[in-house]
Amino acid sequence: MAEEQRALLGAEGGDGPAGPAGPPGPPRALPAACDPRRLPHRLLVLALMCFLGFGSYFCYDNPAALQTQVQRDMKVNTAQFMALYAWYSWPNVVLCFFGGFLIDRVFGIRLGTVIFSIFVCAGQVVFALGALFNTFWLMEVGRFIFGIGGESLAVAQNTYAVSWFKGKELNLVFGLQLSMARIGSTVNMNIMGWIYSRVQDLLGYAGPSTLGLALLIGGVTCVFSLSCALILAYLDRRAERLLCKEQGKTGEVIKLTDVKDFSLSLWLIFVICVCYYAAVFPFIGLGKVFFIEKFRFSPQEASAINSIVYIISAPMSPVFGLLVDKVGKNIIWVLCAVVTTLASHIMLAFTFWNPWIAMCLLGVAYSLLACALWPMVAFVVPEHQLGTAYGFMQSIQNLGLAVIAIAAGMILDTRGYLFLEVFFSACVCLSLLAVVMLYFVNHLTAPSSLLLLFLNPGPQKCAEIAAWPCGKAGIL
Amino acid sequence: MAAAAGLALLALLAAAGAERSRKVSMEYNPGWNSSSVNLLHVRAVGPGDSLHYVWSSIGAPSVLLVATRSPSSALRVNWTQLLSPSPAGAVWIDPPDSVVYSSAVVFTKLFEFSEAKPLGELFYPTYDLSEFSWDSLNHTLNHTALTAELRGVPATDPGGAFANGSLAFRVTAYEAAGRAGPLPSLLHTADSSQLEFIVAGVSPRGNGSRFALQLAAVEPAGAARRLRARSSIDDEYTPSIFQELSLLAEAPNGSSPLSFVQWKAAAYGSPSPRREDGIQCRAGGLQAANGSLPGASLLRAFFGDSLATSCTLSVLNVSFGGEEGHVYQERRYLSWSVLLGFGEPPRDTFWPLVISITAVALGTPLAMLLLGSCLVLLAQRRRYSEYEPIN
Repeated sequence: MAEEQRALLGAEGGDGPAGPAGPPGPPRALPAACDPRRLPHRLLVLALMCFLGFGSYFCYDNPAALQTQVQRDMKVNTAQFMALYAWYSWPNVVLCFFGGFLIDRVFGIRLGTVIFSIFVCAGQVVFALGALFNTFWLMEVGRFIFGIGGESLAVAQNTYAVSWFKGKELNLVFGLQLSMARIGSTVNMNIMGWIYSRVQDLLGYAGPSTLGLALLIGGVTCVFSLSCALILAYLDRRAERLLCKEQGKTGEVIKLTDVKDFSLSLWLIFVICVCYYAAVFPFIGLGKVFFIEKFRFSPQEASAINSIVYIISAPMSPVFGLLVDKVGKNIIWVLCAVVTTLASHIMLAFTFWNPWIAMCLLGVAYSLLACALWPMVAFVVPEHQLGTAYGFMQSIQNLGLAVIAIAAGMILDTRGYLFLEVFFSACVCLSLLAVVMLYFVNHLTAPSSLLLLFLNPGPQKCAEIAAWPCGKAGIL
Repeated sequence: MAAAAGLALLALLAAAGAERSRKVSMEYNPGWNSSSVNLLHVRAVGPGDSLHYVWSSIGAPSVLLVATRSPSSALRVNWTQLLSPSPAGAVWIDPPDSVVYSSAVVFTKLFEFSEAKPLGELFYPTYDLSEFSWDSLNHTLNHTALTAELRGVPATDPGGAFANGSLAFRVTAYEAAGRAGPLPSLLHTADSSQLEFIVAGVSPRGNGSRFALQLAAVEPAGAARRLRARSSIDDEYTPSIFQELSLLAEAPNGSSPLSFVQWKAAAYGSPSPRREDGIQCRAGGLQAANGSLPGASLLRAFFGDSLATSCTLSVLNVSFGGEEGHVYQERRYLSWSVLLGFGEPPRDTFWPLVISITAVALGTPLAMLLLGSCLVLLAQRRRYSEYEPIN
């Protein structure tokens, strides 16, 4: 308990000015649940933080959960459907550089979080209205607004976590937030189809208005998250007043001129990242219908198998994080993850084997890659350029996701699933090529940095890296 | 006898070689001037054989498939007898002993049904295709594209479901192997023809009702039809359709098929089909039928009155639309393509691009790994050699 207090008080800095209304010392008469220094109160804050992102993770994969319904009711082809994912990614190609800046300099963490939550809510409402009015372009606008809020909200969520839990609990908090995010995605995959059929029973027919109502009901999770953001803002302000704590900052410094100093190794890591994620997220976006059409799954079973990647990654991410921390050798883990992913895509493309095998492999590989790849950036970049490197990595990752999502939809419409899976496999192969090159580049150019890749960076470094604000597909 | 015929047929088709082409000619109502009935004779002549397809709307829409070992065999029709109540023997091939194999497919009925809430199906009155009135096929005949279309509506339509609609059978004959352009892009050979079944503008009689087409296959004594469902990982020509069904006629000794009706498990809800217009297509079980086929005048004319006793008759229902699909309700259009032909049905092979992409994608990292290993070894050797022995 004493350590926790130190951790919390340590964040205030010695010279924080006392608020005009707040007493300089914390009051002693508060009950446990209301005292920002006590565990029960911090658990409450932790719960709010976890639910802060729930709505955005839930709604992000709404299109995947309702692919058949969206395509049927809105009469769009797969390329247009995948544009819904692309529109989420477009704003983040730019926003990745500014999320931290907006939180630190413009809005502050509390106002920023509320504003981003409002964007998420508004985006989902516009998305649903687009369906209600049977106008697909309005749905795309909705996804764009949703994208503006969603990714920045993830950054804000991490900043809150650092501000309240800096110290030894931080990794656990990140782990819990990650699990919550995965639970949001999983619940969405498995429940949206059911909500749609309930609405259909209620209205007596299936059509754009059915879809719109189902999406509005899904939007309730966003309103819930917004209320969490408001309560959290109040509690954070109160804690600031009571404890003279400073408002949380991302501490992110981005200088675009740093890009010209990026080493070949870093560019190779970017290639690995873009190609790998492009073969996972757009695939999950199209996955449900793939399992229905190729493997003759029922819609429920297809939803379940499509969410297995998220289900596996919820418990496995902390385990793998620990494993990679202890053993080091990040590049070997990345190699294993990429090869496993390649195997699972090839299985899905060329066989009728039970897809649960391939999807479980994909889930394990994905969790492993997330734990091993992102910290690697810190080994090849000087610390003052870390912000720029991560910002850049997320930016081109979003660019890659947007482009590949649309390309995947077009390939599916014209060439079918075999070609699509071969395309995804080719992306993973490109990523594999980059891993192999990274290995040799380090071997040949700088044997010392090779050592870095193989050595355990130490727990302190890990926590520091883990604290770096990242988006949806990032370290979390 | 069927076994012998089978062997002879296979020898015939094999002798012509894989890359063969045929000279195809189409003739409407040969030897008859009226266009009140439809009989289309498609003759595909190879170097040492000829295949005859006789499409007709006399009785129910049907097709007669005859393979002969003579390039000059001809179809003979005794029209007065064919249109009389006892048509047996009115259609034959001249010379009769050149016939190696014959078979027929009849499209007998169109069912319409709805899912009834407690498990079960609610059937509406069946459309009997032998009681349809068919338009003259003559003006749809295209001798260069080798297509023809048979269009019809029920003779009596009390419900008015066909007020703005019709059924159609579109026939395409082929001179050489290739692949149809529009989906489902069926692969064909010179030994086959494509048939497209189209329901256009017919009002559904129930909310969410679906159609099912009944077809009957007639095999001469000995041979039997078998339904084969084959899943393929390859859906590049028919995106997202992995199942291919074939109704194969096989001799009892179980060698290669004698003839086939083959289709992909998809129908489409648009005249210019795209993937998202797909309508699920399912085949019921193949049932052996006994008794005669009412209204199959053409078959009686060719196979004789002993059709019911000497031939094997099997019936198959193909239904369109799944639980989720209301595509027909919205589009009022359904098209289902099948390939009919002789011998082994054509089979899709991998597109070369898929193979080359896979090879390059897998090969490059491996090559890189080898190259890198060599470089690293070389670099190490050089590093060691830089250390001059201290002397």
